[in-house]
Amino acid sequence: MALDYQPKIVGFLCNWCSYAGADMAGTSRLTYPPNIRIIRVPCSGRVDATLVTKCFQQGADAVLVAGCHPGECHYSEGNYHARRRFTVLRELLSFLGIEKDRLRLEWVSAAEGKKFSQLVSEFSAEIAHLGPRKDNGKAAGGSL
Amino acid sequence: MNQAIRDKAKELLASGAVSCVIGYDVGSDGINARPFFAYTEEEADGLAFDQTCTHNLVKYLIDRAGKATAIVVKPCDARALTVLINEKQVKREEVFIIGAVCHGIIESTWGQKGSDLQGRCQTCTQHTPLVYDLLVGEPMAEPTPKAPLDHRAATLANMSVAERAAFWAEQFQRCLRCNACRQVCPGCYCAECFVDQLDPEWVGIRIDLPEKWLWNTIRAFHLAGRCVGCDECQRVCPVNIPLGLLNHKLEEEVATLFDFRPGVKADVPAPLETFKKDEKLGIGE
Amino acid sequence: MARIGVFVCHCGSNIAGTVNIAQVMAAAQTMPLVTFVADNKYSCSEIGQTAIREAILKQKLERVVIAACSPQMHEATFRKTVAQAGLNPYLLEIANIREHCSWVHSNDKAAATKKAIELVKMAVAKVARHEALFTKEIGLTKKALVIGGGISGIQAALDMANAGYPVILVEREPTIGGRMAQLDKTFPTLDCSSCILTPKMVEVAQHPNITLLTYAEVKSVRGFVGNFEVEILQRARKVDASKCTSCGICWQKCPEKIPAEFNLGLGPRAAIYTPFPQAVPNIPSIDLAHCRYIKYQEFVARGEEGKKPPQCRICERLCPPQAIDWEQSDQVLVEKVGAIVVATGYQTFDHTRYGEFGAGRYPDVITGIQLERLLSASGPTEGEVVRPSDGTHPKTVVFVSCVGSRDERMGRAYCSNVCCMYMAKQAILLKEHDPEVQSYIFYIDIRAGGKGYEEFIRRAQEEARAIYLRGRISHIYQDGKKLIVRGEDSLLGRPVEIAADLVVLATGIEPSAGAKELAQSLNISYDAHGFMVEAHPKLRPVESRTEGIFLAGTAIAPNDIPGCVAQGSAAAVKALAVLSRPSLVSDPMVAIVDPLRCTGCFACQRACAFNAIDSQVTRDGKTIAVVNESLCKGCGLCVSACRGVAMNLKGFSQQQLLAEVNALWR
Repeated sequence: MALDYQPKIVGFLCNWCSYAGADMAGTSRLTYPPNIRIIRVPCSGRVDATLVTKCFQQGADAVLVAGCHPGECHYSEGNYHARRRFTVLRELLSFLGIEKDRLRLEWVSAAEGKKFSQLVSEFSAEIAHLGPRKDNGKAAGGSL
Repeated sequence: MNQAIRDKAKELLASGAVSCVIGYDVGSDGINARPFFAYTEEEADGLAFDQTCTHNLVKYLIDRAGKATAIVVKPCDARALTVLINEKQVKREEVFIIGAVCHGIIESTWGQKGSDLQGRCQTCTQHTPLVYDLLVGEPMAEPTPKAPLDHRAATLANMSVAERAAFWAEQFQRCLRCNACRQVCPGCYCAECFVDQLDPEWVGIRIDLPEKWLWNTIRAFHLAGRCVGCDECQRVCPVNIPLGLLNHKLEEEVATLFDFRPGVKADVPAPLETFKKDEKLGIGE
Repeated sequence: MARIGVFVCHCGSNIAGTVNIAQVMAAAQTMPLVTFVADNKYSCSEIGQTAIREAILKQKLERVVIAACSPQMHEATFRKTVAQAGLNPYLLEIANIREHCSWVHSNDKAAATKKAIELVKMAVAKVARHEALFTKEIGLTKKALVIGGGISGIQAALDMANAGYPVILVEREPTIGGRMAQLDKTFPTLDCSSCILTPKMVEVAQHPNITLLTYAEVKSVRGFVGNFEVEILQRARKVDASKCTSCGICWQKCPEKIPAEFNLGLGPRAAIYTPFPQAVPNIPSIDLAHCRYIKYQEFVARGEEGKKPPQCRICERLCPPQAIDWEQSDQVLVEKVGAIVVATGYQTFDHTRYGEFGAGRYPDVITGIQLERLLSASGPTEGEVVRPSDGTHPKTVVFVSCVGSRDERMGRAYCSNVCCMYMAKQAILLKEHDPEVQSYIFYIDIRAGGKGYEEFIRRAQEEARAIYLRGRISHIYQDGKKLIVRGEDSLLGRPVEIAADLVVLATGIEPSAGAKELAQSLNISYDAHGFMVEAHPKLRPVESRTEGIFLAGTAIAPNDIPGCVAQGSAAAVKALAVLSRPSLVSDPMVAIVDPLRCTGCFACQRACAFNAIDSQVTRDGKTIAVVNESLCKGCGLCVSACRGVAMNLKGFSQQQLLAEVNALWR
């Protein structure tokens, strides 16, 4: 039953590595499930915790933040900030009743089209398996 | 102790070293302390400090920018003051810090003095403020925690995700969105809080669970690595939402992950304003 | 109220084959503020662009969404398109329905169409929050930096210098020339490598527009296109270049002898040395790790007991112009440049990782580049091909291809491109040196795609009588004076065993040591192996993703000399296209402070890696943050650091991203 669930995943992808990596997946025609909606950002460090939390408030089943590998950030340090930020946010969300697995931070380079497609496939399956969110932040939302 | 505070206050006001002393006096019920601003030597005679001085006064310093001010602080208030100094909201050179040795604040209601220490004071490990210009009260050995954290923290940690979600939904459902928690918090000094902003409109106008959930989540997150655990938010909440639980959870995470306690050291960036290249945090690996 | 136009591109069948364009158009019609929807067979074609321009004018469109390929592909194109119709170029948003949709969901047309609609909805919501942005003109330094003095870097430096622009060429080794200087002859023409390279090296040294810094390394790079600031570490040679006459007495008389790196250990060099006779500049350097006087000084400095080692200082005493300068120390030079060409080249794979080839135990198992040195008339044996073990002339030579190439076990899936050709070349040269030599070449596939290359392989087979055996080598071991090479002839499907005098391993190409670290300091991407990543593998092959930084040669991928030279020239042209502009245009997508919201906590300043946040005092005496637009790179780290949304990023504002998120649930 859970596997029939079609989750909605928001992906914040940094322009320089991960967005290009997702493009590479496309150029290489590597298929993955259609559950992710990609939002282009300049840097994983640009992704505000409020934006991610807003996704969950709106009813996202999961959020992916992807950036350049450590040491490869186009802006040198943005991904390190993202790493701290989302480590803490994930703990908070988990404490509030959102499984840790629903927020992922990953490093995908411009050359890693295959990695991106595998990542989305695996993430989509994992979240489908988790099923709908269990917290009421979503269930009580009038507009959902 | 009261005399020491009054003497210093008078001296500072008389010499013009400061134009205001922020402290406590006895409130109108004759029992509980309330915030008090002494501008003259005469007024300084009203200053007092006892175990009902629950308020964290340092937030008042933000509006006193540019004007030399003396302030009475407990250990937790002193940590909040260090946070404000680190975040350039208060200039150290503009503040004369009267540090009060604190034996813990007691649970107290209007017209009636309680006997139990407040929850935050049961777990507190500081009697003496980390920063002061004058220390009042007898210095004493620092305490060891007298009680475990709010038992609900451990209970929550052992709950299933669905149970935790249900617990918080029940709590947040009560939220009136009165923003008292924010108004009292020394770390909440934004010119326009994200919750009030119409552009971008992060939080909708509805008094509805999703909006309350977002407000309470981001309020807590904005204090991650900055909250000193004074629990004022929880004290002023008219519907008794256990906000301290959220704050303490993040405080412990930050301490475990980054070995950081807010307000302990001056001139160090908060953990979410900095990073280490090679740290392993269990995410993005 | 903005009037938004949505243009949905078919991209031939690339999008239309999977996404139902009509459904996307119908859905777009109902989206807020959308007043016009059209489709194009190919939006990027002249016909497509004209249609967009005409629609903007006719429909009085104020903002445009183009649902097509990735913005990385054509955002720049379409910004020009809308600008030509009088719109601000930044009032455009691309919905990526090709790379992120039709191409990855070709197996589910209904889902792809649904997703495409949502992507368009997000773009419409975002574009409604776009603001007109305006570029500024900024100055630039009309000078280039070339990192790496191999053939690619030399070519790039000469082309730019000949175009009239000053160039700084930085080379880590004491001489320029790179790997090409080590080669004997080049395929497929067999011209002598140094005969064609040396004149170019000399031209570099004598060129009035080129500042040559050898024995120097780029330590850090800051700034942006047109305005880079580079720190270069000039290592001390301990020889005064202004006095040295390159007479060579010092290195001839130096008593310390160590294996020469240039000859891959096949011959000695002194502690004061030039790597090879035609080195440019021909100024010797003192190898501090081996110089006796330096060791003496270190011994004294440690204050150890015991007999002092000899002071030596023979070079100093014998140098006619007294050019030895013990006081010379490392120096850091700071240079401003407008464009950078990265040509850091390659090193060869460490074959000792292969246990089955002896892991470096057998002296007569050598690498291709070692054979180059043995073949070279200026090499350690003056062109006599002899066995390192006993100095005899080998008669049976076995070549092993793909050592550290096309081998997943070694983490090297890629082909090193040049090995097939150089093995053929070496087989031909061996036959020329000694007609009695019989070469056996074990190969997996013969890659001979270049001009005249296939013919050259045939020449090795027919004229040089090289025997090609298809298969891998399983084992090499020493048996008396012979090396027994065991492998498989996979065409005949039977094992082969050859008793060889010499085994040559065609070791693969990998990026130079330190290339990754350099890429990090330049802020350019590199792949898992450390090769630099091009902005586009086909259409922008010599540009990095960072504006103003260009790539050439084997720093990008294994390549042969003609390829490297072509890339050197191509990178030079790209760099010249920057340097020759009167001024550059700034990217307007930078951070901006709302002074009413800023409380002056300066979390932004602490987060910023580019020192782009200054402070300013407002009229009411508040100290708040202000963005230095020329330093801001638009990463938006400050925005996430700001709790009160006083900081925002133009082009990726909180409002724009929030609109995208919200659109997903509207």
